[in-house]
Amino acid sequence: MTLAAARMAVEDAGLKKTHLSGPRVAVVLGTTMGEADVLEDLDDAWIQRGQRGIKKGMIPKYGSTLLPIHVARSLGAEGMVLTLPAACAAGNYAIGFAADLIRSGRADVVITGAAELLQELQFSGFVRLAAMAQNRCQPFDLNRQGLILGEGAALLVLESEEHAVRRGATAQAEVGGYGLSCDAYHITRPHPDAAGSITAMRDAIERSGITPDDVDFVNAHGTGTRANDLAEAKVMKEVFPHRRVPISSVKSMLGHCMGAASALEAVACVMTLETNIYPPTIGYETPDPDCNVELVANEARSGRADIILNNSLAFGGYNAVTCFARPGKLPQPVRLPRPRTHGAAGKAAFNSTARRIAPESELPPPPNASAA
Amino acid sequence: MSPRAITGLGIASTIGIGKEAFFAGLRHPPAIVDRAPLSSFDPAKYVGDDTLAQVLEVPNFDPAKYLGDKGLRTLDRLTKLLVVAARLCLHDAGLKKDNQYIQSSPERVGLCCSNAYGSLEAITELDRVAKLEDARYINPAKFPNTVSNSASGYVSIWEDLRALNVAVSDGNCGGLDAVACADVYFETGRADAIIVGGGEAMSEALFLAFHKLGALSPRALLGEGAALFSLEPLDLAIERGAPILAEVTGYGTSFVAPDTEGGLIHPSAEAMERAITNALAEAGITAADVDICASSLSGLKAFDARELTAIGKAIGPNACVAQPKALLGETLGAGGAMGMATALAWLQGVSPCAEVLRTPSNAGHGETLLPERLDTVLVTTMGYYGNASAVVMRRAQ
Repeated sequence: MTLAAARMAVEDAGLKKTHLSGPRVAVVLGTTMGEADVLEDLDDAWIQRGQRGIKKGMIPKYGSTLLPIHVARSLGAEGMVLTLPAACAAGNYAIGFAADLIRSGRADVVITGAAELLQELQFSGFVRLAAMAQNRCQPFDLNRQGLILGEGAALLVLESEEHAVRRGATAQAEVGGYGLSCDAYHITRPHPDAAGSITAMRDAIERSGITPDDVDFVNAHGTGTRANDLAEAKVMKEVFPHRRVPISSVKSMLGHCMGAASALEAVACVMTLETNIYPPTIGYETPDPDCNVELVANEARSGRADIILNNSLAFGGYNAVTCFARPGKLPQPVRLPRPRTHGAAGKAAFNSTARRIAPESELPPPPNASAA
Repeated sequence: MSPRAITGLGIASTIGIGKEAFFAGLRHPPAIVDRAPLSSFDPAKYVGDDTLAQVLEVPNFDPAKYLGDKGLRTLDRLTKLLVVAARLCLHDAGLKKDNQYIQSSPERVGLCCSNAYGSLEAITELDRVAKLEDARYINPAKFPNTVSNSASGYVSIWEDLRALNVAVSDGNCGGLDAVACADVYFETGRADAIIVGGGEAMSEALFLAFHKLGALSPRALLGEGAALFSLEPLDLAIERGAPILAEVTGYGTSFVAPDTEGGLIHPSAEAMERAITNALAEAGITAADVDICASSLSGLKAFDARELTAIGKAIGPNACVAQPKALLGETLGAGGAMGMATALAWLQGVSPCAEVLRTPSNAGHGETLLPERLDTVLVTTMGYYGNASAVVMRRAQ
């Protein structure tokens, strides 16, 4: 799935082999468990037939490390190869870090995104956590049952503005700032105060050089669990106290694709920027009085989409929010915030390496795009 | 990169737990025969198997001694190793005292933590229950441990690190790549201090994997452990009066695929050489400035030969080469951090002992004298798949 998405992304971006080879091209991907199916097979053989059953040749094929290696091999990239296993926020972690790599002058092109496959252990784990819905995922609905698992891969091509201009490429979107934080509260549940999540969203806004008033739409994490919905509703209320910003969860359609989720949703965000259409949250029937959000319920809706946010939360108390914008709509250059507490030395060093860059994401038609 | 200060070390290694014990172990390596029996898995079924002797654990690891005995039941070994290392590190850096922050704040301290294979312990245990009993009986409290970033998530919970928490995976190179991630996060002002490093835990599955691959021998030891540093922008560290143990001044990485559509495993001298060259350039130094190289030589012939070739080309045939893994074992996702911990000890005045010095002592064939004073150390890691990373550390100025 990852290799297919990588090829689609590269073709869609119109990148030639010469653009992709060499040390200035990096691959940064997110996932929850990487090639978990390989481990499952190895484990299965071990359990059924003892250590003699384990196929030696399969062992090196396991590891979350391998996803970017496979992609780099197929494209000829020779820069950094890195996996950020950030569970259900992995796409945002990878895309944000990729943008920073470009902004800090460490790479010209980064193939980034995330991938996850559906696998028995994850499925039974979520069942045992009582987090799964029987039939459908209904984010923000009073009678929500939980999440539905999915799988997929979504990869983007981020490029420095300079590189994109030089090869005459058209940007499909710009990556603005992104915010990170950690709840340090519970391994699976979001903090009920959502303080970390609020910080991450405010940070993404500030780092994009905009104010909350500039945000047109928020792609929700929207897993369909009560804990998630309440936390997310709180974030929206705190970050946007005076406006009801439209919000929607494509997980109602794609399922929760775990490590791949926020990368698939990044693709949805770019499509929203391109079309001015907010994707719907399907299956919404009964408003939850505790989740008073401006939900794009059941039907897609037209609206302004110049600057939007992609929200994500994950196991480990991870929070990550990325800003995507229509090219030219963010203040130029995208302002990397000055280190807040650094002294003069840090600032000077930072300025010497920063370049005026607007990374551009070029989209693959992802495997599940038609559903969006 | 701007110089980053290492202000503290927390470590659970095969030669000791805590900075003092680790330094002492590097001075006078403990005899392997004195080791306690394996505790991470039951070695009984491998009795008579010589390779068992090539497995090193963190000896007498008792997390309750450092963390108290509450809340440890559902944690796996990887998590416990990392939480202990993080706690020791925060205290060594003077950020915490009696487990309370006395400098900085949880919102400004983060974590970048490398790990290569996740919690094989948890995954194989749950798989076993699912296959032999029923998937409905797997322990939901242990399920989160199967997720690759679980251990680093738990470190944040136990140690209250909220600025950011980033799990890093790049096999044997991840420990050094975590430093590069932290550098980017400092540059963008996301934290004032980041606990950086990696961990890997021994388990029956990990042992079996190396055993089946024929990757264990009296020269190729498999180890485990966690090594975490407190990394800070130099000016901030000076400002808060932190102890500066060493500085990190350069990082380089590279990936080179095999020429033909060959196998997945690919030791690349070219990638290693480029990573070193990039790291030296970023540090603004030349090969002649490198006093010693803390390499990732691990006893695997093909890899060791390529790494030595790369070091010889990038630093010169007389480059003084050490192999910390001969003492600490191959610790995979923690390997780069273990190499840096060893380099830190040297920069703090610990002399490299005979056990970690390569013989011959250089990248070529002759003998090279160990420099009397070590000011600049190159740390290298070679991945299994054509990936390689390097970091330059220097004595605190």
